[in-house]
Amino acid sequence: MKKIVITVITALAVICAAVIFKNVYSCEMPIKNRGIRDAINSGDLEVVFLGSSTFRANVDMPLMDEAYNGRVYDISYGGNELVATAIQYEEIKKRSPHDYGLFVFELGPMMLTQEVSLSDSRVIWDLSWGGKRKLWESMRSSGKTGLSVMYEYFVTSGMDDLITFPVTEPFYSTRYYKGAKTDETVSPGKDVLETEEFDISKEEFVKPQEDAVYDIIKACRSDGQDFIFVESPCYHRLQEDGKYKECRERYILLLEKEDVPYILADDVEFDTACADFFEDMNHMSAKGRKTYTKELIRVLKERKEK
Amino acid sequence: MSLVSLPFFIFICVLLILYYRMDSKHQWKILLLAGLFFHAWSNPYLIVFLLISIFAAWKLMLNPVKSHFVWVIVINLGILILFKYSVNLGVKDLAAPLGISYYTFMTIGYAHDCYDKKIEPQKNLFHYALFVSYFPQMTQGPIGVYQEMMPQFLNTHSFDPDNIKKGAYRILIGLFKKLVIAGRVAFYIDTVYSSPENFGGLTLITATFFYLIQLYADFSGYMDIVCGISQMLGISLKENFQRPYLAKSIPEYWRRWHISLNDWYRVHVYMPAVTAGWNRKLSKTMGKIFKKAKKGTLRLIYPTILVWTLTGIWHGAKFSYLAWGVYFAVIMLMSFCTQSYVKKINEKIHWNKDSIFVKIFQIIRTMIIVAVGELIFRSESFSDTMTIFKNIFTDTRISGSSIAAAMTPFGNGNQAAASMLIIAILIIMQAVVEISKERNEKAFTGHRYVYAALMMITIALFGVSGASNFMYQAF
Repeated sequence: MKKIVITVITALAVICAAVIFKNVYSCEMPIKNRGIRDAINSGDLEVVFLGSSTFRANVDMPLMDEAYNGRVYDISYGGNELVATAIQYEEIKKRSPHDYGLFVFELGPMMLTQEVSLSDSRVIWDLSWGGKRKLWESMRSSGKTGLSVMYEYFVTSGMDDLITFPVTEPFYSTRYYKGAKTDETVSPGKDVLETEEFDISKEEFVKPQEDAVYDIIKACRSDGQDFIFVESPCYHRLQEDGKYKECRERYILLLEKEDVPYILADDVEFDTACADFFEDMNHMSAKGRKTYTKELIRVLKERKEK
Repeated sequence: MSLVSLPFFIFICVLLILYYRMDSKHQWKILLLAGLFFHAWSNPYLIVFLLISIFAAWKLMLNPVKSHFVWVIVINLGILILFKYSVNLGVKDLAAPLGISYYTFMTIGYAHDCYDKKIEPQKNLFHYALFVSYFPQMTQGPIGVYQEMMPQFLNTHSFDPDNIKKGAYRILIGLFKKLVIAGRVAFYIDTVYSSPENFGGLTLITATFFYLIQLYADFSGYMDIVCGISQMLGISLKENFQRPYLAKSIPEYWRRWHISLNDWYRVHVYMPAVTAGWNRKLSKTMGKIFKKAKKGTLRLIYPTILVWTLTGIWHGAKFSYLAWGVYFAVIMLMSFCTQSYVKKINEKIHWNKDSIFVKIFQIIRTMIIVAVGELIFRSESFSDTMTIFKNIFTDTRISGSSIAAAMTPFGNGNQAAASMLIIAILIIMQAVVEISKERNEKAFTGHRYVYAALMMITIALFGVSGASNFMYQAF
């Protein structure tokens, strides 16, 4: 009986230690080339991108580096939505002693229709305990959480990365540079992009996501932080989709109501019908990324000069 | 009630308390009530079919004549066909009673044994009802044999801490296999097999290999859980698996996989078919065509086809299940028919059967043959099967990009390598735990506690929450 008790207690102790470490200290893990911690360690920055995988794939960091003397960073997570973005911004400002010239938020129209959820386990890693709790509260108030989701959020999610960190981190840190992708991705070809099925017609607006846009604006203003929303171009089929346009209008309306600066895909000279520029509907190929980034830099610099 | 759920955990705790507090003469009654309760939990109305099956078989086999035996088969198979193939018969898709396949097998097996005078018919309806409704083996087997189970049910069982300890350890092994191994690879397999046209050869091979692991971990994990529960109750269930992926031939593989089902088919379908008059006549006709063929081999042809076709259809009315059955029938027949030729060739080339390299070759060869069969079984349609074969044979490059592509079903980038690595570690851990379980069945020594702690940790940290349904439950 004594042995059984010791076994159970030992197992519980290890489980608790792993869970506490993941939830409280994972944001201090030495992750290189991506994430909030690495961005903070980069010192003062002129431009910080904060968004989803679209930013990760569509921003060419060596070109940005050249334009901003290396003082730029791209913080992005797969499927990142606006509620999480607001929390991430708050987290950076709270944890960082550095100055940031401009925060670039993603004007992803479809982000307004996303459920509040844990889109990428990397979010769990990068947020402090307070940030994690805040995101969980948002998920809970949106009503789509149960015991198993809670268990996944606080216990299992991201555990693979934690345990295998010493082995996988050196491998993965080479695939990013200052948060952006370094892969030389190529287009699958016009035929694929023209026939790829997608259906966003049934997507509906999610109130907490709209509220999150206001939260971001409010937080930036109260911090005296210069910021802008940027729409990254999608392949023309998505860009011209009726639902996409509707969501985009709504997003723009929100920003105009608050008198917030924004750059639309049309404001940057870029051919959204060129299949060579895209890997899929909303992620660019290496060629597209370079072409787009050059133009984006030009537009951003022009704006600054004004 | 899922075996990996809180209600089931509470159910087991309450049952154990009642079972061991009860006068030992009445313990079987508790088991009977527990079985009926367990069955009714899933759907209280469908218990009627279980009761019909129990009563009909019991009453008819009190006088085990041929016509009664036939009636038992008709009633039970009738209910089974009604529920299992209702959609194919043009009837609305009906929710099947819990464990209908398994209790149908047990009932027919019992009736057959009574008819063959191998056992005395059970006079007590409630004793017989317990045999059919014993809850640990109800949903997925093992298919209980009356003469092995009944004496155990009626024996008295006093509380034995060692049984509880060993049973709990076995349950832990089952949960580890189900929630950690099977649960984690399931995501990869589902992603790849839902659209195989989007994946290359290496990814499809990986998915098929994972499917072998998932099948084994899910099914044998279930068996470990129910055997553990039964052990806690002092009742030992038949083992259903004996390291099947270490088999050196397909016939051996089927002696190690789902043993109780294969035993059932051998005793109640295959052997009667081999000795049946129709088979003798048919094999005689075949003998006239294939004059050099041995009589014994010819006699195995039709029963083998029959058994494997039935096994395929038993899984459901789907092309892939039938194709799977036919595939294994052909492999088994090839194995029988070429045995003597293979032996001669082996002698000529001085093939040393005891060499470790030969054994490894045989194991890998068997695993590949099984993998092909399971690939057919898992495919959603015939065209998917063809797509998978085509992609495997036309896109077999192993390069950095194909390896990276093979990781993507686990998610893009960061999580993929970590998931792969974790799965590799867990599979090795499963192998170590299983070997230790078989090597040292009697003793519960120090290293078992270490394994138990490790399993508890991995279940808690890497278990897939929500993976509560077992794969074979659907059959």
